[in-house]
Amino acid sequence: MTSSATPIDLPASTPDSGTAASRLVESLGALVRRAFESVGSAARFAGETVLAFRDVRTWLPNATEQARRLGVDSLPIGLFIATFTGIVLALLASYSFTGAVPLYFVGTLVGKTITLELAPVLTGLALAGRVGANIAAELGTMRVTEQVDALETLAYDPLSYLVVPRVLAGTLMFPLVVASAMIVGIGSGWLASVFLLDLASADFIKGLRLFFVTFDVQYGIVKAASFGAAVTLIGCMRGLRAQGGAKGVGDAATSAVVYSAVMILVLDAFWAVVWLLGREAVS
Amino acid sequence: MKRTNDFLVGGVTLVVIAAVIAAVLWVRQADVGQRQQRIVARFHDVGNARVGNAAVIRGVRGGHIDAIELAPAGWVHVRMTIDRDVQLPRDPVVLLNESSLFGDWQATIDERSSLPHDETVRRQIIEASGGGSVLPGATLPGIGKLTAVAGQIAGDVANVAGRVEVAFDEQAARELRGSIRNVADLSTILSRTVRSHASDLDTVSNQLRAAVLSLNHTTAATQRFVARIDSSASSGEVRQFVNDMSAAAAELRLTTSQIHELSSRLAKSQTRLDSFLASGDSVLMKVNAGHGTLGLLVNDPSFYRRSDSLVLELRGLVADIKANPKKYVTVHVF
Repeated sequence: MTSSATPIDLPASTPDSGTAASRLVESLGALVRRAFESVGSAARFAGETVLAFRDVRTWLPNATEQARRLGVDSLPIGLFIATFTGIVLALLASYSFTGAVPLYFVGTLVGKTITLELAPVLTGLALAGRVGANIAAELGTMRVTEQVDALETLAYDPLSYLVVPRVLAGTLMFPLVVASAMIVGIGSGWLASVFLLDLASADFIKGLRLFFVTFDVQYGIVKAASFGAAVTLIGCMRGLRAQGGAKGVGDAATSAVVYSAVMILVLDAFWAVVWLLGREAVS
Repeated sequence: MKRTNDFLVGGVTLVVIAAVIAAVLWVRQADVGQRQQRIVARFHDVGNARVGNAAVIRGVRGGHIDAIELAPAGWVHVRMTIDRDVQLPRDPVVLLNESSLFGDWQATIDERSSLPHDETVRRQIIEASGGGSVLPGATLPGIGKLTAVAGQIAGDVANVAGRVEVAFDEQAARELRGSIRNVADLSTILSRTVRSHASDLDTVSNQLRAAVLSLNHTTAATQRFVARIDSSASSGEVRQFVNDMSAAAAELRLTTSQIHELSSRLAKSQTRLDSFLASGDSVLMKVNAGHGTLGLLVNDPSFYRRSDSLVLELRGLVADIKANPKKYVTVHVF
């Protein structure tokens, strides 16, 4: 092939620009591939975890221990956050409503906001830090110290033995922590309204009951369950893929927290679009 | 350790589930133990009423709306839970209305006789009546509807204002100025007239003043008269006087009735007398005209003379009979 017969030959004056453009395209393609690769590997990991649920005798003995560690031990932090969230929310509501909206709407705002959004999301974010990092660090350490390999050598499925109890515990115990946070958050908002805002207790209850529907609690609980599943899955996945010693474990813990937090917000938006959009506020 | 974990997780799970269920039941005011009564009302439309809104009886919250559901024949059934101790009105109806400007609605349970004087509401109640145990209901217009009506009125006013603006052009302004000028002229004429008649008005005013003085004198005299009457009344003379006057009035009434009776009799007698006189007049006219026997007797002298000679002859006959009775009377026994 002669040079005159090749119409796609680039001009001799711009040899480097062709290289830069192809590099840009290549890097873009690599980025997309990596993104899909991570999504695909996460989906594959989630699928394998679901399949690992079949091995009940492996994961069942560890389930309650994980439930205590991830759920019961997380109650104090969840309730602490909810307490202050309720107080601040009541004060913010009264600050916003003063002179324009009846003060009993403080009860409405506290109830709705805590139940639908703040209790699940704030508790989820807090537990993402606590639980997600804990799981990633624990499993990462097991991975870099070859304990996971030892389990495999002993014919234990690491997913059944390590991942399933944690995911199950996270999925079941997150809603309990969030439900407790709902009660405590609304209660602290109530107390703040009565003692700090001079709002009558009956008025707060009136506002709380005004637009309350059971769906709000269901929505928050289901959301919390999805957050629990996501946080534990991400923590397990990042931990089991840790490499390179202590640094790898640290990176795994960090990325687990970051991805968990992002995933919580993504799932929050997902549930809002899927479940809240088009639904009447009160039914 | 494992048993401790199990116990801890199980305990926390139970406590949290129980707490959540209790909280939800409490916030929803669920009727645990059937301690509340349930009523159903039907409406054509429920406005912005929602589940959980208050049910108010005589201004006091006595329950809440449990459910709102579509029913056959175009009705909407609103189910309410009312405290069992609450006594419903005798003939209850349910009104859905706004309880505040912020979109809160409530169901007001009231007696039918206490309905507002609104034709639409009464018609709704009448239409919703007859549903058996289902109470009739009506929906009052919300603030949004009222605002819409107010907006419509404002639009109409704006239209009218626009038309006035169109109608009130330069020509109309000139005419208005002319009218004002005419009114000013009229006012000038009136003031001139008033000035020219000011003296007459003074005269009238003086006469009026004199009349007022006279009235004052009369009033004083009347006051003195009344004072005297008052003193007489206090001494009992007036009572005696009134009693006497009462008796006199009774007698006067009796006399009046008698006079009235007498006058009616007199009227009858006069009528009869008139009739009699008319008849006599007619007879006398006939007599004067010479009609009839009496007329002839009165007006014909020959008849008188013949009668006189007849009388004479009768006297002779009677004398002859007295002198010679056997000549005229014969008695035979056998």
